Amino acid sequence: MQGAAAAGITAAAGCLGGGGGGESDRVPTDVEEWPPENLESNLNMWNWYDSWAEWAIDAFGDEFDVQVSNTGFSSPDQWYSQLEAGNSEIDNIAATTNWVERSIENDFLHEIPVDVMPAWENITDRIKEASSYQQDGKTYAVPESLVLYPLTYNDEYFDSAPTSWGVLWDDQHEGNLCMWDNATVSCQIAAMYTGQDPIQPDDFKEIEEVLVQQKPLLQTYWGDYQQGMSLFVNEDVVAGPLTMGRTYTARFQEGAPVHYTAPDEGAMYTSDLFVIPKGSPNPIASLQFTNWASETENAAKLFETMGYQPAVDISDELSQEDAEFTNWPDDWNLIFSETLSDEVRSRYDEIWTAVKAA
Amino acid sequence: MAERSDAADEPAAPDRQNALGSSGGGRLDDLAAFFRERPRLRTLAVAGPPYAILVLFFAIPLLAMVVVSFQTGDIGGPWTLSNYTEFLNSDTYLSVVWQTLLISVQVTAIVTVVGYALAYSIVRFSRRTTLLLLLVILPFWTSYIIRMYAWINILQSDGVLDSTLNMVGLPALSLLYSEPAVLIGFTYVWLPLAVLPFYASLTNLDSDLIEASKDLGAGPVRTFASVTLPMTINGVVTGIILVFIPTFGSFITPRLLGGTSNIMIGMVIENQFKSAFNWPFGAAIGMVISVVVVALLILGTRLGGGLFAQGGEES
Repeated sequence: MQGAAAAGITAAAGCLGGGGGGESDRVPTDVEEWPPENLESNLNMWNWYDSWAEWAIDAFGDEFDVQVSNTGFSSPDQWYSQLEAGNSEIDNIAATTNWVERSIENDFLHEIPVDVMPAWENITDRIKEASSYQQDGKTYAVPESLVLYPLTYNDEYFDSAPTSWGVLWDDQHEGNLCMWDNATVSCQIAAMYTGQDPIQPDDFKEIEEVLVQQKPLLQTYWGDYQQGMSLFVNEDVVAGPLTMGRTYTARFQEGAPVHYTAPDEGAMYTSDLFVIPKGSPNPIASLQFTNWASETENAAKLFETMGYQPAVDISDELSQEDAEFTNWPDDWNLIFSETLSDEVRSRYDEIWTAVKAA
Repeated sequence: MAERSDAADEPAAPDRQNALGSSGGGRLDDLAAFFRERPRLRTLAVAGPPYAILVLFFAIPLLAMVVVSFQTGDIGGPWTLSNYTEFLNSDTYLSVVWQTLLISVQVTAIVTVVGYALAYSIVRFSRRTTLLLLLVILPFWTSYIIRMYAWINILQSDGVLDSTLNMVGLPALSLLYSEPAVLIGFTYVWLPLAVLPFYASLTNLDSDLIEASKDLGAGPVRTFASVTLPMTINGVVTGIILVFIPTFGSFITPRLLGGTSNIMIGMVIENQFKSAFNWPFGAAIGMVISVVVVALLILGTRLGGGLFAQGGEES
């Protein structure tokens, strides 16, 4: 009843102009030859790479004569709740893997005919293997970028990159450390630090204990990406978790002396992917956009503006400085951020609440 | 008492009809007569839309939250009391509620004292009240988040505050990511909400009563305690309510300005919805907190009413 009511309200909003032109009769799998003909005149995307989206609005819009809009979001649950309520507005989303899996399970996404999309060949095998976007032989998303959750550090403070997450428990740096106010990320760091599997740990009590021990050493738990980046830019902290993209922005756009590394215990990573949600009023324009975004020069622009490693091989497009920053050593121990079981997620959440209340 | 004369109204009707146009005025008169003869329908027409809005946007969502809070797992799962028992049996969550209560009381106390003094000075000692009130509400024209980021710039190490202190030879305070920073942030954000009801009640205060109190030999403190405060207690209670409720549910200010020891229950609820995906448990916490806040409000309102009655007798 609740879902039906929400769907009704959303549908009404769409009819009142939120949808941008009414739902197309075609679906992406109707496209059997490239390029698709008769694109719709609008495209409503939800993409949290704001700077890249701002550029893409003009670049894609001019090339294909499509009116593009973007809704930025700070948390995937914002678009996911739209899909739960019955989407009639969103054409294209840059979605994180775990949320793509949830969306596939709940039949929220259109199947994408990657076989006819020329840019599909640009996606590297590494990210194709890492991401989880297929079910029953059908493909529901196109990888956009790899997102690493490394240890970020001040490279003027440290002579060399720290080799262990233990640096975040070193009282030598008391008051100059931070953690991410995120139950999963912080508990997974503690799991790796204590030598456990971050996806399926076996000693939750130890994770809680080390996080409580760490608390007096921290300056703060950051909850907002901008806040996390500012801590390093303002040199309030010298080490802590931050995304690769924010570290890139801090270093190259804000001039902060920061770099990142994957400690010996490992670092988590995930991927972001383009999806076309069911109910999309402009699915064919969205399909064209997905292919366009995976073309090399457009993917390179994603890296230049946001600092996340694109799903496409852009090594020919990179400056030496960017290449050095971006290339992850082969010996890094990277762990894909698989969807957690309900039990682990619940325990992590309990631990994190207890740690913050301690 | 004179009887109302229907005949006396009759001559006015043709004039009004002329002014409005014969057909339009006639229709209005007919409509007015229609409703006049049907008082229940008239009440429904007047009160119906606000009640409908309340039901649609307040009662139904609240009911949905109650329903969800008794479910388990995903929405639509089996019925259970476990969300409530888990919350009420957990020392962790209850300690967060207690901590939230302490911070909310501190914020409310600070805002009440500062806001009352500000409203009093505007009413009593200034002629440019409109300009000063405009300045008080000016922060509302800017986004909450932006105001919090402004405070980060002010309070951070080497920020505006510390730089200014260093310039005048005083040591830096480095307040950001501490409990004082949270209190400052909350005080700044809620001050206008409290000042407006304080101001409204103080403007209605008859200044002759204060003069009379002084004439009878009362000093400033006695006059304030026996005349000013009792006569404005309704405004004070309103201001306290307006500050206490949003503080209790806040999660942005403590997250952005607080350090590692400023967790509030709003942050826990947010986490249940956004990260843990446990909407039923988040809804259950929300329900418990709503009950606690309503209970505190009833208590506060009765206390305020009692003080008012007492003050009224004294004055």
